[in-house]
Amino acid sequence: MKDEILLDVQKLSHKFFPARKMEVKAVDEVSFQIRRGEIFGLVGESGSGKSTIAHCIMNIYQPSGGKIIFYTGNCQERRGFFNKKDMAVQEANSIDVCDPKEFRRHRRMLLAKRQIIFQDSSSSLNPRKKIREIIAEPMKIQHIAPVRGSLCAEAEYWLNQAGLDGSVLEQYPSELSGGQRQRVAIARALAMKPELLVADEPIASLDVSVQAQIMNLFLQLQKEHGFSFLFIAHDLLAVKFLCDRVGVLWRGKLVETAPSKELFENPCHPYTKTLAASIPVPHFRLRQEGDVW
Amino acid sequence: MSELLEVKDLSVSFDTPQGEAQAVRDVSFSLKSGEVLAVVGESGCGKSVLCKTVMKLLPPSAKIKSGSILVNGTDIIGYQERDMCKLRGKLFSMVFQDPMASLNPSIPVGKQVAEAVKIHQKGLSKKEIYKRAEELMRLTGIACPEEHMKWYPHQFSGGMRQRTVMAIALAGNPKIVFADEPTTALDVAVQAQILDMFKKLQKKLGMAVVFVTHDLGVAARIADRIAVMYAGKIVETGTAEEIFYDARHPYTLGLLRSLPMYAEPKGELYTIPGMPPSPLSLPKGDAFACRNEYALKIDYEEEPPMFCISDTHYAATWLLDKRAPKLPAPYR
Amino acid sequence: MVRYRLLDGVKKVFLFLFSIFLLSAAVFFISRLAPGDPLVSYYGERVERMGIQERVWAEEKLGLKDSVWVQYIRWLGNAIRGEFGISYKYKMDVIEVIKGRIGNTLLLGGVGFCLVFLLALLLGIFCAWHENRMPDRIVCTLGTITSCIPEFWLSLLFIFIFSTNLKWLPGSGAYAVGKADDWGSRMEHLILPLTVLVVSHIWYYAYMVRNRILEETGTDYVLLAKAKGLNKRQIMFHHCLRNAIPSYLSMAAASVPHVLGGTYIVETVFSYPGIGTLSYESARYKDYNLLMLLSILSGAFVILCNMAVQKGAERDGR
Repeated sequence: MKDEILLDVQKLSHKFFPARKMEVKAVDEVSFQIRRGEIFGLVGESGSGKSTIAHCIMNIYQPSGGKIIFYTGNCQERRGFFNKKDMAVQEANSIDVCDPKEFRRHRRMLLAKRQIIFQDSSSSLNPRKKIREIIAEPMKIQHIAPVRGSLCAEAEYWLNQAGLDGSVLEQYPSELSGGQRQRVAIARALAMKPELLVADEPIASLDVSVQAQIMNLFLQLQKEHGFSFLFIAHDLLAVKFLCDRVGVLWRGKLVETAPSKELFENPCHPYTKTLAASIPVPHFRLRQEGDVW
Repeated sequence: MSELLEVKDLSVSFDTPQGEAQAVRDVSFSLKSGEVLAVVGESGCGKSVLCKTVMKLLPPSAKIKSGSILVNGTDIIGYQERDMCKLRGKLFSMVFQDPMASLNPSIPVGKQVAEAVKIHQKGLSKKEIYKRAEELMRLTGIACPEEHMKWYPHQFSGGMRQRTVMAIALAGNPKIVFADEPTTALDVAVQAQILDMFKKLQKKLGMAVVFVTHDLGVAARIADRIAVMYAGKIVETGTAEEIFYDARHPYTLGLLRSLPMYAEPKGELYTIPGMPPSPLSLPKGDAFACRNEYALKIDYEEEPPMFCISDTHYAATWLLDKRAPKLPAPYR
Repeated sequence: MVRYRLLDGVKKVFLFLFSIFLLSAAVFFISRLAPGDPLVSYYGERVERMGIQERVWAEEKLGLKDSVWVQYIRWLGNAIRGEFGISYKYKMDVIEVIKGRIGNTLLLGGVGFCLVFLLALLLGIFCAWHENRMPDRIVCTLGTITSCIPEFWLSLLFIFIFSTNLKWLPGSGAYAVGKADDWGSRMEHLILPLTVLVVSHIWYYAYMVRNRILEETGTDYVLLAKAKGLNKRQIMFHHCLRNAIPSYLSMAAASVPHVLGGTYIVETVFSYPGIGTLSYESARYKDYNLLMLLSILSGAFVILCNMAVQKGAERDGR
C-alpha cells in the first residue's frame, strides 16, 4: 500500500505573462510522485513556484505544459460519483488532471478527493458564513449523505477531529483566533474524506506555540485517516519534522528530491546546502534530570 | 559600561471599541551600549508596541499609562513630537518587518536614503549627501550602489529592500537600532544573510540593538541577551546562554520544547496547551497560569514578581519562590 | 512596440467614434419621442395661428415630415460632411450659435474646475493635517452640509441674498449690457456662479484628498520616515502628498463630467449665456439640431476625459 503512487506530476510547466511579451517560467518541468499515505514536503524560497504547483494540482491554474496524473484506486468507493451510464469512466483508474476533457468528466470526484488548505485562513474562509455552514457547504454541494445523521452533526464531528469543540459551530471566522481558523480549514478539507490533502504554507502565519499544535494535529490526522499529504512550506524545520520525502524547489525547478532524513543529513544540490546551513538553530539544553526550580 | 537606555515600569494600553487593551504591562529593561537584546514572544504579546513606545511612534489610540524611559539618564517620557524628531534617527532608529511597505514606492531608493542623510548632516552639498548615501548602501551590502540608487523599491528583492531600510536607519549614526521582526518576511536563505549583515554592522559601528522576533532560532543567532515576553510582560530575561541552557520560566521552557528542530521526526511535538489570553481581558494573577502545567494555587491569585536567579537572569514565576514546592523540572 | 502603439491608437479612435455614434442615435431618438412642438421654437407665437395646411408646409420645410429613421440617416449624412443644420430658434448655423456661447462656458467651467480642485486639495491637506481634531471636525461637518445642498437652491439663495437684497453683485448674465469686452464686468458676473460651483463641489473632492492622505499616513513607510527623524511637514509634503497626488489627478480628470454637469445647472439658474443654458433651452424647446450638436460636444468631451484617465492609469503602472 505504501508504495502505490497516488499523484504523478510529470514535467509540469507553468508560465505567467505579467506584461506583454514578457514570460516568466514559474514552474519549469517539475516531476515528482506522491505515494499513498505519504507526507511529501515541498520547500523553496518565495517565488520559487511552490504555490503555483499546488494550484496546478488543484486545477486552479491550467498549466502550460506537462501532466498531472491522479491514480484512483478503489472503484467501489468512487461509484457514488458517477451515473450508471459512465461505466467506462468508472473503469479508468488514472486521470490526467491537466486534460480539460478528462477533468470535466471526473470533475465531481476530483473536487471531492483533493482538498486544499491555504496559508491565510482569515481570507480563505468566508467572513459572512458561520463555521457550521463553511464545513457543511462542500458536503451539500457534493450531495454526500451525512453518515452521522445531519450535516450539522457531521460538521461537529470533523471539528472535534480537528481539535475544536461544538461551541464554535455558530460562530463567524472573525471571532476565532488564527490557530482556530486554521483548524476549521482543516476540518472543512477533511470532511470530504480526501485522498490528497494539499496545504499551502498552512503554518506560516501562525504563532510558534500554535504552529507546534497544528503540526501535531496534521501528523495525528494523517495517521488516523491515511490521506496523502502535500505540505508546502518555507520552514525547513517543520518540513523535516513532518515529511517522509522532500522536494526542493529553486527558481521553478525541482533541484533535489530525497527522503527527508537523507536530505537534511547530506544535501547534494548547492542550493539545498545553503538552505540547510541557514536554518537558525539555537543550541539549547533543557535542565538535567533531578533539577528542581 | 553605562546604561544607554533604561525603561522602568512602562505600561501602555490601547483604546479599542471593546475596551482597554493592555499591550504592555509594567515592563522594565535596560540596554547597554553595543549590546544586542532580543525580545522574544508570540504575536500580540506587546513586543513591537514596546519598541514603538520608546520611539513614540504609537498611533493616537495608544496611551502610555505609567513608567519612565531614561536615555543616558534623561527621562524622555514627556517629550513632545517636536523633541522626539530631534532624537529619532540620531539617537535611535528603527527597522520594520515588511521592507516593501516601509519604503515609499514612488521615490527611488537612493533618494530615500539621501533624505535621511540630509536631515542628520546639515550643510552638506547635494553631491556629498549622495556620496554618503552611496556609502551607507555599500555598507549594508548592496552591490554597485551608484547603479541601484536610481531604482524604485518594487525593482528590488526583499533582501535588498531590507538592506536599504537598514541603510536609512543607519544614516544618523544612531546609538540604538530597534529591529521589529526584520527577517520574518524574508526567505530562510536571505534571512541568514541579513542576520549576518546585522551582526557584522552592529559590531563594526558599536551600536546597541533591540531585536524583536518570535523565532528563538533567530534570537540565538544574534542576541547577547534575551527577554521573553508574554501577555504584555517580560516573564524572563537573561543572557542568551542562560535562556537557552537554564530557562526557568515555564513559558520559555515551553517555547524551547515546542521547537521542531530536535524533535524526533514524526514523533510528537511538545505543545503549550491553550492560547494566549486576549489583552482586553487578562485573567487575575499570572496570565500564563491557565496554560501552565506547573501552575501553583498562588498563580491564580497574585502576579509573580521578578525573581533573581543570577545578576543577569530574572524570571517571573512563583516556582522560584522559596516557599514553592520542589517540582522536578522538565528534562530531555 | 511602435506597431503596437499605432494599433492601440487606431483602436481608441474607433472606439471614440463608435461611442459618439451611439450617443447621437440615442439623443436623436429620445428627443423625438419626447413631447413638445419643434415648430414653436422656429415660428414662435405664430404656430398657434397656423392652419393645418400651413403646419404641414412648415414641417416639410424643416424636414420633420419623414419617418424618424429617414431623418436620422439624413442628419448623419450631413453631420459627416460637417453640416449640423440651423438652429430653429436662432435661425442660423448651430456652429455659429455655439461659437458665440462656448467662450463663456469655458471661462466659468474652466475657472470653476481649477478652483474646485485647487481648493479641495488645500482643504484636504488642512483636514488631514489636523486629523480628528477640532479644525478637521468643524470642516468635515460644514463640508457635509454644503455638499448636500442642491446647486439650484444654493444659486437661488445667493441671488436672493447678494443680488436682490444686498445688491452687491449682479444675479444674471455674463456681463453688463454692451460691456462684452469689459473684463471687470465679466468678473463681477462670474463671482456668484463660481461660488456656487465651488461650494457645492469642493467637499466631495476635499474629503477624498483627506482620506487618501490619511490612508498614506497609516502605512509603514511613514513610520520609517518618522523613525529616520523627518518632521510632520516633511512627511506630509515629501511622502504622503507625493503618493496621493497622481491618483488625485486621475480622479480630477475623471470627474470633469461631474463638474461640467454642475456648470450647466448653475448657468441655467443664473441665466448665464453659455452652453448649459443653451442645452437646456434647446431640449426644452425642441431645437433638434442645436441639441444634437451640444450633446455630441459634451459627450465627446466626457469620453476624451475618461480616455485620458485610462491612459494615465496605464502609464502609472507602479
